[in-house]
Amino acid sequence: MDLKFTAEDQKFREEAREWLNANVFTERRPHGGDAMREYDLAWQKCQYDGGWAGVSWPEEYGGMGLGLTRQLIWYEEYARANAPDNHLCFVGLNHGGPTIIAHGDADQKREHLRPILSGEKIWCQGFSEPNAGSDLASLKTRAYVDGDELVITGSKIWTSHGHLSDMQELLVRTDPEAPKHKGISWVIFDMNTPGLDLRPIEIMTAPNHTHFVQCFYDEARVPLKNVVGGLNNGWSVAMSTLGFERGTAQIKDQIRYAFLVEEMIVRARDRYGAAFLDGDEFGARLAQLRADMAAARAMTYMVVSRAQHDVSPAMASLMRAMVGQVQQRVRRLAFDIIGADGLENPEDDDWVYFYLRTYATTIAAGTSQIQRNIIGERVLGLPRS
Amino acid sequence: MDLLPSDDQQQIVDTIKDFLRNEAPVDRLREFGAIGNPDALLWPQLGDLGFFALGLPEDRGGVGLGAAEEMLAFQQFGYHLVSPGVFGLVLGARIAAFAGEDALRDELLGGGLKVGLANSRGAAGAADEYHLFEAEDAAWVLLVSEEGSALYPRDAFAEIVRVNSTDSVLVLERAKLSGAPRVAISAETDNIHDRALMLMGAYAVGMSEGARDLAVDYSKVREQFGKPIGAFQSIKHICADMAIRSEAALCQASFAALVMDEGSPDTPFHATASKMVACETAVRNAADCIQVHGAFGFTAEANVHHYLKRAHVADMMWGSLREQRRRILTFPTPA
Repeated sequence: MDLKFTAEDQKFREEAREWLNANVFTERRPHGGDAMREYDLAWQKCQYDGGWAGVSWPEEYGGMGLGLTRQLIWYEEYARANAPDNHLCFVGLNHGGPTIIAHGDADQKREHLRPILSGEKIWCQGFSEPNAGSDLASLKTRAYVDGDELVITGSKIWTSHGHLSDMQELLVRTDPEAPKHKGISWVIFDMNTPGLDLRPIEIMTAPNHTHFVQCFYDEARVPLKNVVGGLNNGWSVAMSTLGFERGTAQIKDQIRYAFLVEEMIVRARDRYGAAFLDGDEFGARLAQLRADMAAARAMTYMVVSRAQHDVSPAMASLMRAMVGQVQQRVRRLAFDIIGADGLENPEDDDWVYFYLRTYATTIAAGTSQIQRNIIGERVLGLPRS
Repeated sequence: MDLLPSDDQQQIVDTIKDFLRNEAPVDRLREFGAIGNPDALLWPQLGDLGFFALGLPEDRGGVGLGAAEEMLAFQQFGYHLVSPGVFGLVLGARIAAFAGEDALRDELLGGGLKVGLANSRGAAGAADEYHLFEAEDAAWVLLVSEEGSALYPRDAFAEIVRVNSTDSVLVLERAKLSGAPRVAISAETDNIHDRALMLMGAYAVGMSEGARDLAVDYSKVREQFGKPIGAFQSIKHICADMAIRSEAALCQASFAALVMDEGSPDTPFHATASKMVACETAVRNAADCIQVHGAFGFTAEANVHHYLKRAHVADMMWGSLREQRRRILTFPTPA
């Protein structure tokens, strides 16, 4: 057991801090639309030009090729610098890109990886379907081979930022006769392909906030060479990308939330006076969150530690489940602290927006119920449900 | 940076684990009788193995390891519900060591004496009123406070009255403090209070894990509707929640111990956070464990109730969750 970072790690931390302080975008990130797309791509390009994009990506694809400890340091400094989360780049950086790195062929790597890092292309996810959510492997979007093309018909849903995206990681059923996990393929899909139709889906944060789209594919044609990891091998390919989502990319969120709790303490003191600490339930809830955020951060350190010891990645589900709950409690308390002002939802106040936004944290990337199944079965060894 | 035990540390864990599995299975508490426990018989053996001296510097008569190793040991003590008298020995020896009372220190490190714990009754009593745990036949009583900590002779306490202990395998008394400490150190000399909170966090982590394992093991073998109850999501998710909470508590306990070993000014923050998170986890895991056991969990024939009652002792010791919540807001933002 050891909390110390090496001298080289410390030097890296200082360099990261220096670069971030000099370059971080300070303008407020738009909540939607083309303005958000431009903002996220510009910030990604800024990181790329500075040599700081893709901390975990191999150097041959333009990344920094850093191990988990350096990733932890980078994300800590990223959060400390209050650098914006470019969510639109998330799928490309943490799913699509890493999947192509792990399973793609030379052409796929050459064509698709650098534009993700350099802030040219936005990727989205096409996994869930109206009737395939938690039971993802039952997906029905059909793709048949026609010469050197795949012909895709069906529908995907809960595609975050699909209307702002260039590319999609798409799961389709290429062998309807095979057992459900065996007949799926992972496909690189260009969002400009004829036969694709998008239906925007507003989310609950405020009227006209489009976050998701539903995608309809009507005989949409994709080159067969866009299949990654082999035809009908998409399930195991997809599972490796979900692993990335449950891993290090969460680190900066936790640090950000720890800062938010500190900010809430200040804001609550300003608003209600120092005495609120003693009697008021806000004091008790803030105190508990202070302790729980410390534990969440320690869990992050443990995830990094475990990965170095090759412990089962299922253990990371423990952190994800905990962090999702705590984030919801933080945002709920932030909302409660602003009191009646929370009933106003101005465009420039993040506290209401993010309170409502946080209801997604126990749903996205595997609901907390699915997480508990994974923990029960893969960590605790309980029989399958 | 690595929160997991090193090979050397794991060896210590395995040794304590093996020892306690053989010498202190939780069944001992049921077999011993209604009141009390046989754990004082373990002290000389644990002392011989060096487990009370792990975190004490070599030049003060210890093994010369750190808070991390102590944390790992107390996690195992909690897992096996070892009498909280073990806090009296380890922290008492530390007080004696830093006070220059080498003979007393060595006797305590060897497990040749018993040290009870004095805990303020808080709002339930006057300022001089204490609960004494495991102190009935102890020569010494440990009193921990933020300003400093001390060993008192038992006769420094007056009006000692034996009361029924909710955790019935512990001996509990009420008493008034009337005499002076015999061996005392200030928090500036060595902060026993921070260490006590950190170690209680570790102890509560062990209890949380013990209750988790008991529930998981039971739900694998108990069958209803033709299958193990652990196959039902209603039970599986309770067990998963126990695992999530235990993990959070373990990680914070490890972090707190390492911060202490670094001598960081954030030590009181992290020690307090560790006690808060772990003691609440211990209570909730014990409660869930009772639920998973059904009616059996409500009986004295199952071991579950021991975890619940000990968890409440842990929570109350050196300031309950309510008091720790007040304290943690007084610390500056940690690094």
